Amino acid sequence: MTKTISIIKREFKTKVFTKGFLIGTLIGPILMIGMALGPAYFLSISEKKAIEIKIVDETNILFNRLVHTFNDTLDNGELRFILIPVDPLDYKENSISYQQNIEKEKSSVLLVLPDHLIEGGDITFYSKTVSDIDLIQLIRRKINEEINQVRLEQAGFDPEKIKKLTSRIGIKTKKMVKGKAEEKGFGQEFFTAFIFLLILYMTILLYGAGVMRGVLEEKTSRIIEVLLSSSNSFNLMMGKIFGVGGAGLVQYGIWTFLAFTAFFFISGASPKIAQHIQISPNVFLAIIVFFVLGFFQFSTLYAAVGAMCSSQEDAQALSTPVTFLIIIPFIISFTVINDPSSNLAQILSLIPFFTPMLMFLRIILATPPFFEVLLSIVINLAAILFFVWVSAKIYRVGILMYGKRPTVPEIIKWVRYK
Amino acid sequence: MYSLEVDRVNKYYDSFHAVKDVSFSIEKGHLFGLLGPNGAGKTTTMRMIMNIIIPDSGSIRLFGEKFQEGHKDQIGYLPEERGLYPKMKLINHLQFLGELKGLSSNKAKEFSLQWLKRFDLSKWQDKKIQELSKGMQQKVQFIGTIIHSPSLLILDEPFSGLDPINTKFLKDILLQLKEAGKTIILSTHLIDQAEKLCDDICLINRGEVILMGNLKEKKSEFGHNSIIVKIDGGRSIIKNLNIIQNIENYGNYMEVQLKEHIQPGELLNLLVENKINVQKFEVTETSLNQIFIELVGNNGNDQNDFDN
Repeated sequence: MTKTISIIKREFKTKVFTKGFLIGTLIGPILMIGMALGPAYFLSISEKKAIEIKIVDETNILFNRLVHTFNDTLDNGELRFILIPVDPLDYKENSISYQQNIEKEKSSVLLVLPDHLIEGGDITFYSKTVSDIDLIQLIRRKINEEINQVRLEQAGFDPEKIKKLTSRIGIKTKKMVKGKAEEKGFGQEFFTAFIFLLILYMTILLYGAGVMRGVLEEKTSRIIEVLLSSSNSFNLMMGKIFGVGGAGLVQYGIWTFLAFTAFFFISGASPKIAQHIQISPNVFLAIIVFFVLGFFQFSTLYAAVGAMCSSQEDAQALSTPVTFLIIIPFIISFTVINDPSSNLAQILSLIPFFTPMLMFLRIILATPPFFEVLLSIVINLAAILFFVWVSAKIYRVGILMYGKRPTVPEIIKWVRYK
Repeated sequence: MYSLEVDRVNKYYDSFHAVKDVSFSIEKGHLFGLLGPNGAGKTTTMRMIMNIIIPDSGSIRLFGEKFQEGHKDQIGYLPEERGLYPKMKLINHLQFLGELKGLSSNKAKEFSLQWLKRFDLSKWQDKKIQELSKGMQQKVQFIGTIIHSPSLLILDEPFSGLDPINTKFLKDILLQLKEAGKTIILSTHLIDQAEKLCDDICLINRGEVILMGNLKEKKSEFGHNSIIVKIDGGRSIIKNLNIIQNIENYGNYMEVQLKEHIQPGELLNLLVENKINVQKFEVTETSLNQIFIELVGNNGNDQNDFDN
């Protein structure tokens, strides 16, 4: 036992006391926070600028009404849209130069409302960019509403009554957490989930592959035989996995600490931004639990792969299947983000390899029943025991084999050796 | 009292029979030479003794007991393929190896420092392994093998890659350890080394024991003496003499065996009659090398392997 502790200690030190670990630990969260805040920050920048809408109103009745409808404000209280009327006759003569002017100006658009629009037809939208779907939808909706109103008025309805009858409803998103309703927008949920998923994915992949590299290094530097003469292959393999995993946990510890500190400061400095990163402390607990589960399943397999190989090239080829087992759940998790309560998500999140990422996502996004979480953990622990057993068998034989890559039947034979 | 008893041990690698019914035992305090050409099964045998590889049949007893994990702490094993963690500091590395042999971390450090001093490596104790020369790394490896003062040492080709000065240094240390009562198993394909050091030998070829026992007894058992002859020219004449059984030409000199009942004087007479300029003529016991070549040579053609 004390020997295994010595092995763990050495592994842990060689992983933690390196420049790479320091850089990863410090740059990691900066990157993640950047990714979390970046989009929110850019969204708020683009909203700060007022948009000029030049309107060629050939119907002659819509412009004045639209001035009242486009009453959205920016964060600083100013109007988001500035409506400028363009004389239809002038436009008819100089339409080309009007359109070309739009190309030169960044934040202005040109709308042409044809005279028969009330009866039906299309608005033409000129802008330097037409990719801002939100803006186009907004303009279309507002003009549609006005036209409906005009049509109803022309049909003889009382304007006051129309307003009452067509009043729009808003939508408030609330997530049910332990019987209480929490007010959260889908956007921030998505961000939180995505960032944490990314961290989980990266760390499982990096630390898992780190175990493989360590095994391979011991094999190629031939120190493995010295180690085997002092301890046995099982202790060596488990010592390495625990040592590397411990380094991963320390990194998570530092990140959690940094995250809480950073959140504390951000909420002091800018509550508006802090809103976008509402994270419950349970998320940190969950990510650590699922990191441990994921790390153990993949690192045992990676250890076996490392033991089978004699060179970096071999390792790259042979580790691909294991790496795919990490990448596939990561890709599937994009579907789960969209519908975390689906049957697919429910079933896959109980299957080893998929559990770490998918069950974690469900916990963030959908609060699954507790027994399901517990069941997934139990299933994964059982799977880990099985992987440890198989990998230890492969490791024991493979670690002393040099030369050509083993074939699948050979590996099966290794597992069967007494 | 035997430190090690190997009893009819077999090991197969698929259909290849790597070790065939190998048996030998080593008395406590003896220096035992495990000899044989490359690929004879020496390393596999040593790995089986260390329980790194499990034999397919047969038994191995250490210190009179069946193998237990705890025995590893009483054994120092130097594998043929040397290996250290290149990025670890020398002192930390030795301490780690000591801890793996069951030493407390303080004791491991204390012994590391003592041995580094004795091997004249104290200056480098805070350097990384990769910054040391090959020769120094060899010494570090050897310290790692004996740091826990094991009672049984298993050394696989300990002299390979050492210069003459370090070879002598290592040889002296081995003899000191032997005097201190340690049992030493030495595998080598350098027969000269084994002949100078070992009490007992076991010769393995193609996985089989072909000669085993006390070195002196075995040599006298092998009977006929050899004659070391150094001459100037006339090699073609000596080859055709009908009293000669076998000649092994070593370049500077020849080792000659005569046919039965022929006295060495007859050869000397013939050399003088043929006016060959004799520079050296020495009657001596058959060298282990000669025995080896005869045995292995008769058994196959592995000599080429053997001399490299």
